[in-house]
Amino acid sequence: MDCVLDGNCVKAFGKAIHALSRIGDELWLDPMVRGLALRSVNSAHSAYACFLFSPLFFQQYNLGSVSEEGNETIKCKLVIKSVLPLFRCLSSIERNVKRCQISISAPCDRVMIRFFCRHGITKTHNVRFQESEALQAVFASHLCPNVLKAPARLLGDMVTHFPVSQEEITLSMTSLRVSLRNYFEGAKDHIKTMHTEISLHPEEFDYFQVGVDSDITFCLKELRGLLAFAESHCLPVSVHSSATGRPVCFSVEDMVLEATVVLATLIDSEIRGPSQPTETPVPTTPRWILLQQFQPDCSTSGSFVARFASCHREECVVCVPRCVHAATLPVGSCEARSNIPHDITAVTELVTSSQDSPIINPPALMQLLPQTDIPNEFCVPDAACPSTSTTPASTVICSLLFRALSSDEDDDSCAAGLNVLACYSDGEETMEDYPRSFLLGEVTQDALHILTFCDVAQSRSK
Amino acid sequence: MTVEEDENGSCDTPGAILQNIRPTRRSTTFATMPLSTQSQADDEQYVLVASLDNARNLSNILKAITFKDHAIFTATPNGLKVTVEDSKCLQANAFIQAEIFQEYTIKEDLVGFQINLTVLLDCLNIFGGSTVPGVSTALRMCYRGYGYPLTLFLEEAGVVTVCKINTQEPEEPIDFEFCSNNVTNKVILQSESLKEAFSELDMTSEVLQITMSPSQPYFRLSTFGSSGNAHYDYSKDSDMMELFRCTKTQTNRYKMSLLKPSTKALALSCKVSVRTDSRGFLSLQYLVRNDDGQICFVEYYCCPDEEVD
Repeated sequence: MDCVLDGNCVKAFGKAIHALSRIGDELWLDPMVRGLALRSVNSAHSAYACFLFSPLFFQQYNLGSVSEEGNETIKCKLVIKSVLPLFRCLSSIERNVKRCQISISAPCDRVMIRFFCRHGITKTHNVRFQESEALQAVFASHLCPNVLKAPARLLGDMVTHFPVSQEEITLSMTSLRVSLRNYFEGAKDHIKTMHTEISLHPEEFDYFQVGVDSDITFCLKELRGLLAFAESHCLPVSVHSSATGRPVCFSVEDMVLEATVVLATLIDSEIRGPSQPTETPVPTTPRWILLQQFQPDCSTSGSFVARFASCHREECVVCVPRCVHAATLPVGSCEARSNIPHDITAVTELVTSSQDSPIINPPALMQLLPQTDIPNEFCVPDAACPSTSTTPASTVICSLLFRALSSDEDDDSCAAGLNVLACYSDGEETMEDYPRSFLLGEVTQDALHILTFCDVAQSRSK
Repeated sequence: MTVEEDENGSCDTPGAILQNIRPTRRSTTFATMPLSTQSQADDEQYVLVASLDNARNLSNILKAITFKDHAIFTATPNGLKVTVEDSKCLQANAFIQAEIFQEYTIKEDLVGFQINLTVLLDCLNIFGGSTVPGVSTALRMCYRGYGYPLTLFLEEAGVVTVCKINTQEPEEPIDFEFCSNNVTNKVILQSESLKEAFSELDMTSEVLQITMSPSQPYFRLSTFGSSGNAHYDYSKDSDMMELFRCTKTQTNRYKMSLLKPSTKALALSCKVSVRTDSRGFLSLQYLVRNDDGQICFVEYYCCPDEEVD
């Protein structure tokens, strides 16, 4: 891939990198036919950002000739710390940089970023990258009942009222007003903290549609980057959201670029929405946030599958690798192996999502789970399970998960605790006995509790 | 004004002795002619007397070479040279010509001593670093000779401070044998462009590689850090390039930790000359303008880390 940006665009590119650096530590550089995408995901996998620059943004944009090896364009993963310093001082970039060339050439493992500056000075940086399949969040914004479009400065001005240290804020939407307030976990220190609430009338927005009254709580810090970007480009910010607990998407776009930030939202355990499943397992496929990186050699240590409880399949945020092999699901392929990801690439089924990106079919995923002994109390009739060809282990999991969701007794024990991100982890980890309500998708930033599927079964059977 | 002197006035007493002396009625004259009306008799004993109306003209330039505690002072009739060395591989020299001083008297051809540079700078800044316009610290530096401390008389707004700093046996500064005849490549750049490059240098790189060549890339600074490498190329036609005289292609690496202190000198300077000789030794010469617009020089000599041809 080889592209050239002119001086003005370098500053916008740099601002995008600043915004992405607020999200995560790694940056995916994904050259595509429809443009260059820069993506980042945070370590808790609860925030995702993507800046897509169309070919028109660039002075030149070449995806590179089909190389001798016939490879498609290289997708790279860079450490943000090695790229951010190059764009740190945006004012000096504005003053000095005439042109910037970014190229990735097949044989080497470096991205070359070259600044052609005034006074005959050229700065060339060769930054190491890892080849990595890009992550992409699939978010069906057209299915969101709540849509707001705020003029450029509105949201930015609103969030300046919150202290920089404020982690999370709650956006409440009703058909009469929209308000932002800071969010505090638990009942701690109510006296010591300052509560701020800002309300806006629907007329302040360029577009206002509230289908479902909701209170969504998300991380503010991760959003600030996008808001700063929007302000600097005078672009209105669109907010797509649904009910409490479902992801929210903030986006800006203009003719040559579009930027999206998708954030997970907290589910308040006291709030019981109409979407909660009942005692009997509901025969709908579980919703997933699947964040997985499929390395070409299938070694994915530390990758995991996160599960969010939400109602409608199309509305879930699913992050998938952009190239997933289509394969039919072999029945009974479950082996008592701890390496779930190894199997996944082989058995994932391509299911078209609303945005034409492949997503993993969850029941198929569950078939990869190792077999365990199932105590009788957890048996569930086959008819209730989504897939008739599930192995006993996956039946257990299915029922465990659904059961956990519907248990009332769990509310007390569910503090700001983390979600079950059912995961695969490399080592033998002895997991504590998590409260059952852990499955309710409350992802927060500080910790990511992970459980292997088989451990879940084992801990239940104790 | 009386100056209380120690009985022995020798360097037995450790550290600097600071005395704040209340000015007498005659002090009003001191505000305009600080310290210069000291009795002539005192001056007889000093082998070196140097006065500045603005002590910052000395302290600022000394800050550019303060990467080690100790400095070697060498005074000649031409002026003052202050040398700081590091691990026998790096040497920094600050030159303050005699013309910079309001008064410069030296009784010998060469006066040398070693002194704690950090303490000296603390004393020069004893009235604080505030830059109130019109108010400056006046300095009178006196040295009686071998075995005696360096005496500083500092005055600001009528308050006088006397500092006596112990001196040590001067070590012989290293002679890097860097002579103009051996210089293979020389460029003179405007500091502005180099300042930016140095501030952006990847500090995770252990070395700074300098390539100078009569052909592309002409003048290149390279770093090899943990996340990748970086190259800063200056074209010979660049308007930042005041002089370009390169005879052969040379690439040398220097330890980043050794060159890092030179950024202080670079920050003060308006022009810098970069020279390498046939052995790969590096000479950086910085042209510094002081508060009064006078020119002083700071130079750094550095040994190459390894020869790369």
